Amino acid sequence: MKNADGTRARGHRPNGTVPALTRRSLIRSGFASLLAAPWASSLGASMVPGAGASAARGRNASRPPQDDEIVLGVSAAFSGPSRGLGTELYRGSMAYFNQLNENGGVNGRRIVMKLLDDGYQPDPCVANTIELMQDENVFLLFNYVGTPTVTRALPVLKTFRDQQVFLFFPFTGAEPQREPPYGEFAFNLRASYRQETAGLVDNFVRIGRRRIAVFYQNDAYGRSGWAGVREALARHGETIAGEATYTRGTQFSASMRGQVEILLERSPDAVICIGAYAACGAFARDAVDLGLHIPVANVSFVGSENMLQLLQEGRSDPNSHTRWLVNSQVVPSYEDTSLPAVREYREMMAVHDPPPPDNVARITEGEPYETFPQSFVSLEGFVNAKLITEIIRRMGDDPQRSGIEEAVFAVRNYDLGVGERVSFGPERRQGLQRVYYTVVEGDRFVPLEDWEAKFS
Amino acid sequence: MSRMRVRKLFRKTRFFFFALFGLIVISVSVLSITTVSRELSVEYESNSRSIAQNIADSSVDILLNRNLATLQSLIDQFVQIESIRYIYITSETGEFLAHTFVPGIPDEILASDASSTATVERSLPGLGDFIEVGAPILSGVAGTVHVGMDLELLGLKIQRAIGAQMALFGIIFVIGSLLTFWFVNLASQPLADLLAFAVRMAGGESATGDEPVLSRDDEAGELARLFVHVNRRAAGADRER
Repeated sequence: MKNADGTRARGHRPNGTVPALTRRSLIRSGFASLLAAPWASSLGASMVPGAGASAARGRNASRPPQDDEIVLGVSAAFSGPSRGLGTELYRGSMAYFNQLNENGGVNGRRIVMKLLDDGYQPDPCVANTIELMQDENVFLLFNYVGTPTVTRALPVLKTFRDQQVFLFFPFTGAEPQREPPYGEFAFNLRASYRQETAGLVDNFVRIGRRRIAVFYQNDAYGRSGWAGVREALARHGETIAGEATYTRGTQFSASMRGQVEILLERSPDAVICIGAYAACGAFARDAVDLGLHIPVANVSFVGSENMLQLLQEGRSDPNSHTRWLVNSQVVPSYEDTSLPAVREYREMMAVHDPPPPDNVARITEGEPYETFPQSFVSLEGFVNAKLITEIIRRMGDDPQRSGIEEAVFAVRNYDLGVGERVSFGPERRQGLQRVYYTVVEGDRFVPLEDWEAKFS
Repeated sequence: MSRMRVRKLFRKTRFFFFALFGLIVISVSVLSITTVSRELSVEYESNSRSIAQNIADSSVDILLNRNLATLQSLIDQFVQIESIRYIYITSETGEFLAHTFVPGIPDEILASDASSTATVERSLPGLGDFIEVGAPILSGVAGTVHVGMDLELLGLKIQRAIGAQMALFGIIFVIGSLLTFWFVNLASQPLADLLAFAVRMAGGESATGDEPVLSRDDEAGELARLFVHVNRRAAGADRER
């Protein structure tokens, strides 16, 4: 089926949700039908950054890559409760690519993103990955969102290893794309969840909060963070004080009373949340309402601005539910204009203000998505775009997939402008290592300077 | 000619038919409930054990690499199978390494022997009734996989199987009853005709020879003709006196 503008609407859901798979349907359909699943909805338009997203409407989604462009394949959450993550990551990257393409691209080629929506669900992500590699013939995969999705896509990369398609800078800090047997198929920029959770645990323990509980999404992402907390606590001779879980895709309107009550029984000193903004926001809200007045930490994947918006919207006291929040970040504050990359980011976001992918508007009809002028997620998308451009630039006038790995390994002590130099190598497949901690002040997250003053 | 019905003669036949059918239905139902229940339970447990063993075999490398995210991803795929309601993996020390419980691990499971691979039935408040099987990872030195299958679903499957049989019996019963009534009526028709004929003759009517029963070539026809013959002889004897 084609939309009015000629783009495909395969699996297009008017309410913007990716339908839940029933167990029966999964058994019946099997893997083969999963690959052809209709909910692997294509967002259709191959964005033409130089001309802006709106100009992409009406383009044929399946057109082959042109000689003067390099196509990056993206499968991410553009619908469902985590759509803010895929959308903001995309917007940050688009701001950079728009600017780049307006100025002639890289070595004379424009960089184009081919977007597919997976709704933050593993099976559509697998189908999308195969489509991007087999049908769309993308140069590389870029800006994937989420651990459960990436974890399932990695075996696809291994299966088609002869095509030498690498996954660049997924928006997840999980270990599977950092370790054997799949680590060799991905390059990461951000710090890992292990580093984020270790930093949170170390700081909590330092201020005397040793009984740490975990609230997590019950999937590969949550487990990855849970494992990080467990490992970090073990170094301090502690174990996880209590744990509660939620199902992926839980909305902000859901009650987290059961989870809060489980943790209340364990009397923790702090809770580390490994989840997405809707569910973690619901937990933070119910924790305060039910008297769990202890620090509630979130890792970078949560999408801080999206969560803050949910917690403050429509409240007479906007900070009634944000007093105890502390979020770790893997990029510096977008308020820190002493950093060159932050200045560039703010400038390009202001100039281009990339809209959400155009088909998202249709998918989420009735649920308008409100973009953020700046956010940690879009800043991460921006630095991802900046680094991938540098890698492609180093590949010369005729970039080939076979030369990607060599070009990445040539990145040594590269100044990305974020206050930390980036290096890659055969044994170093993660560019940045630093973790930042932020708390809510007014209507935004700001750097946390003094843990003791804040939480002791 | 008014038709007379022969009910009393076939009452026992009909009773015998219903009694025999009821006995067959009850005995077959009991047998099939027992058989279906046992077979499905065995199959259920066997499937659970195969799945648990499959996960256990797949988990070895993942556990040795301490890659718990991949381990969680693995069990998340298995728990999509219709009858599986929960999976949890414990380490050799009994620590829960991955599980599928929301909002938390039930106290009954936290209190159970994590290294046991025996088949147990569990009733978890708010979740339902389950049959749980275990499979050791590397003979138990790397941990244990536990798979919980939904007993309510098993019960539902048994009910469905029995229900289908009962529906079949019901259809057979209705058709059998209609056929029995039709056949009994068909078989009793000559007797009814004979009875009506005999009653008329006893009432003093003389046989005209047009009665259908007289033209029958079966026992009813012979009896009717015999009645006519006896009636005529009796009438001749009366005249001679």
